[in-house]
Amino acid sequence: MLFHEIYGSYYRATAAILRQAARGALTGRELTALVQRHGFGESLLTIPDALRGERWLLLHRDLSSALTGEPELPLTTLEKRWMKALLLDPRIQLFDADPTGLEEVEPLFTPDQVVYYDRYTNGDDFQDPGYIARFRTILRALREKSAPYVRFQTGKVKKTQLVVTPHHLEYSEKDDRFRLVAASARRRWIINLGRLEACALSASERYSPLPEADMERVTFELTDRRNALEWVLLHFSHMEKETKRLDEDRYRVTLRYNREDETEMVIRILSFGPVLRVVEPEHMIALLRRRVARQRQLNPGPGGAAREEG
Amino acid sequence: MAYSELIKSFHRIRAYLRSFYVYGFRHRREFDQKSARSYDNERRRVESWLGEYMSFGQDADGRRFFLSVDSRSIPENPLYRAFRAKSFTDWDITLHFHLLDILRADEALRIAEVMDELDRRLASFERAALPDESTVRKKLKEYHNLGLIRTEKRGRETLYRRSEDHVSLERWDAAAAFFSEAAPLGVIGSYLGDRLARRVPWFRFKHHYILNALDSEVLLTLFTAIRERKRVRFRTARGLFTVVPLKVYIGTQTGRQYLLAWTPRQHFAFYRADLMDSVTLGEAFEAPEDLAQRLETFQAHCWGVTGSGSGPLQRVEMTVHVGPGEGFLVERLEREKRCGQVEQVDETHWRFTAEVWDALELLPWLRTFTGRVSALSCTDERVTQRFWEDFDALAELYGGETDALS
Repeated sequence: MLFHEIYGSYYRATAAILRQAARGALTGRELTALVQRHGFGESLLTIPDALRGERWLLLHRDLSSALTGEPELPLTTLEKRWMKALLLDPRIQLFDADPTGLEEVEPLFTPDQVVYYDRYTNGDDFQDPGYIARFRTILRALREKSAPYVRFQTGKVKKTQLVVTPHHLEYSEKDDRFRLVAASARRRWIINLGRLEACALSASERYSPLPEADMERVTFELTDRRNALEWVLLHFSHMEKETKRLDEDRYRVTLRYNREDETEMVIRILSFGPVLRVVEPEHMIALLRRRVARQRQLNPGPGGAAREEG
Repeated sequence: MAYSELIKSFHRIRAYLRSFYVYGFRHRREFDQKSARSYDNERRRVESWLGEYMSFGQDADGRRFFLSVDSRSIPENPLYRAFRAKSFTDWDITLHFHLLDILRADEALRIAEVMDELDRRLASFERAALPDESTVRKKLKEYHNLGLIRTEKRGRETLYRRSEDHVSLERWDAAAAFFSEAAPLGVIGSYLGDRLARRVPWFRFKHHYILNALDSEVLLTLFTAIRERKRVRFRTARGLFTVVPLKVYIGTQTGRQYLLAWTPRQHFAFYRADLMDSVTLGEAFEAPEDLAQRLETFQAHCWGVTGSGSGPLQRVEMTVHVGPGEGFLVERLEREKRCGQVEQVDETHWRFTAEVWDALELLPWLRTFTGRVSALSCTDERVTQRFWEDFDALAELYGGETDALS
C-alpha cells in the first residue's frame, strides 16, 4: 500500500518525539518544535494533546517514553521493490547505490514497462565511464562543499576552464540531460554535463553565491477550443503561473519563465496555434511575428492547396 | 464529524489538488463538492499541507485559491505531502510503536507473549486499556503484508519477529533524492528520504510535472497487474473498463501519463491515468501468442498516445528550410523525430517523414516549425488543412494586414 499511515507525517513526528524521549532529552518545548518540524500546519492542535493526554499510549506524563528503546521502522517491501527497480535504470550508474540487501527482491517495475514517448533522443550517455566519473566528482564537490575545476565546451570550438562553486545538478526529463548550475565570482553558469571535458576537485575554498536567474513573464489569452484550456494548463503546469477567467471561454494566463528558455517558450507557444494569443511582453510578440513573417515568405498568401507538396 | 488534517482516502483530495494546481481560476461555488463545508475543509487541508505554495486572488466573483509552484526551483515535489496525511485510529498508532518495539529481529514471539508485554506496558498509563487479541493479530497481519514483520509457523502457532534490513540506506541518499523526482512512483523515494538523517538538496528538475504524483496509486496497481499478468478494472467518465495493461506511457512535455492496454475488442487503446478511478486488479490473463509481435508493430507507428492498431497508416511529410548556420534545426528534427525519419533533400532543405496511426497527433509538433515549413503533405487531408488554417489564424494574430494586437 502506497497511501498508508506508517509513511505519514503524524507517525514521523511521533517517532521523532519518542526518539528524543528515549534519549531523556524531551521537553515540552522540544515536543512542540518536533511537531512543527515534521507535521503539517495545524498538527500542533492534535499531536501534543494526543500524546500528553494519553489518547496514544506512548508517552508518559513526565515525557518519558513507553518504549524500551528508540523507535525503529524496517524498510517496507514496497520501498525495497522500488529501490530494486532503480537498480535496473541506466542512470543508477551515476550513484553509489549499494545493492546489498535487495538480492531476493522483485522490482516494482522494469524499464521495458515504461515508455517516455516524447523524450528527446540525444540525451546524455549515462553508461560512459568518463561521464560517470565527472558526475561523481561533482556530487562529491556538492557533498563536501568544495569548488571543482571544470573544463567544458562553450561553442563548437571554444573551450572554457574555471573553478566554480557548484550549487545544483539540474535534470530535465524531456532532454534526458543533466546540467551543472554553478557560480564563479562574476556570473551564473549552466553547464551541460555532456559538454564537460574535465572535472576535478580543486583546493580552492572560495565560495561564490549563485546569482538569481533572469526571470521573465509572458501573458497570453487562451480561447478554450478543442479542449485547449486543459491541454495548455497541463502543459505549462510546471511553471509558476496565474490564470484568470475573462469570460465564458477566454482566459488570461501569466507564466514566469527563465530568460535563457525564451526560444523554447516561443516554440511551446507556437505548438498550440491560434488558441493562444500573447499579449505581453512586446519582445515575445516580436519573436512570434518574425516566425509568422518568415513562414509567409515561404508560403505566401492564405489557402492551403498551393502550399502542399506533390 | 470534526475537521482533521488527515484523510481516509486519496480519491477526493486528488481532484481538489488538481483543480487548485492546474486550473486555479475557480471560485468556491464552482467546485463540484457535496457542500460548501466540504470545499472549506478540503481547502483548509491543502493549506495546512502546502501553505507556502498556496496563493489567492480577489476578483468580482470573490476569492479564488490556487497552488503556484515553479517546480524547477525546488528539490522535492511538495504534492508528496498529501500522501503523508492518511488518517488512523488511536490504537493504530499505539500498536505501531509498541509492536515494532516489542518484536525483535533475533527472537520470534507468540501472540500470547506479545499480549502480555503489551499489557505490562499499557498498565503504566492512567487510562490503561488493552486492545483485543484479534485487533493485535490483525495489525500483525497487516504489518506482515507491508514487510515490517516476518511470521513463522511452529506447530499450529504463528510466531512473529521484526523484519531485518541489510540495506545500507545512507549509501542511497543521493539516488533516493534524484529518483524520487525522476522515476515512476517517486513518492516512495521521498518516504526513503524521511528515513535519512539529512535530505540531499542538490538536485533540481526542469520540465518537471509534479502533478503526476497524484496518480501514484493508479500507477502502482497498473505495474502490479502488468507484472502479475492480470487484467485491471477501472472507471473513467466514459464508463467502466476491464483491459489488459501492457505499458505505462509518460509524457515529458505534456504533464500526462497513460496506460497502453489490450482491450476485449482485440485492439490497443490508451487511457489517461489522471482520469482513471477505482482501479483494481482483475482476473489473470493468458496472452495470445502473437500479442507481443502485434504490440511491437503497433508501437513502431505511435507518434504519441493515440491509435488502436486498426485502420491504414497515415503518412506525413514535412520539408523544412535550413539556412546557412542553422544546423540546430536539423539537430531538432533528429532528436524529436520519434518514429519518423529525417533526410536531406538538397543544400537547404530537410525532409521529415513518418507513418503513424493518427497523423493529427503530430499537429502541435509540426506547428513548432512555423517559419521553416516549405512543404507539408499528409494522406489525411485534415492535417494539412488544419495546419494551414491555424497558420492563417496565427498570421491574423501576429502578422495580418490589420494588426490584431494593436
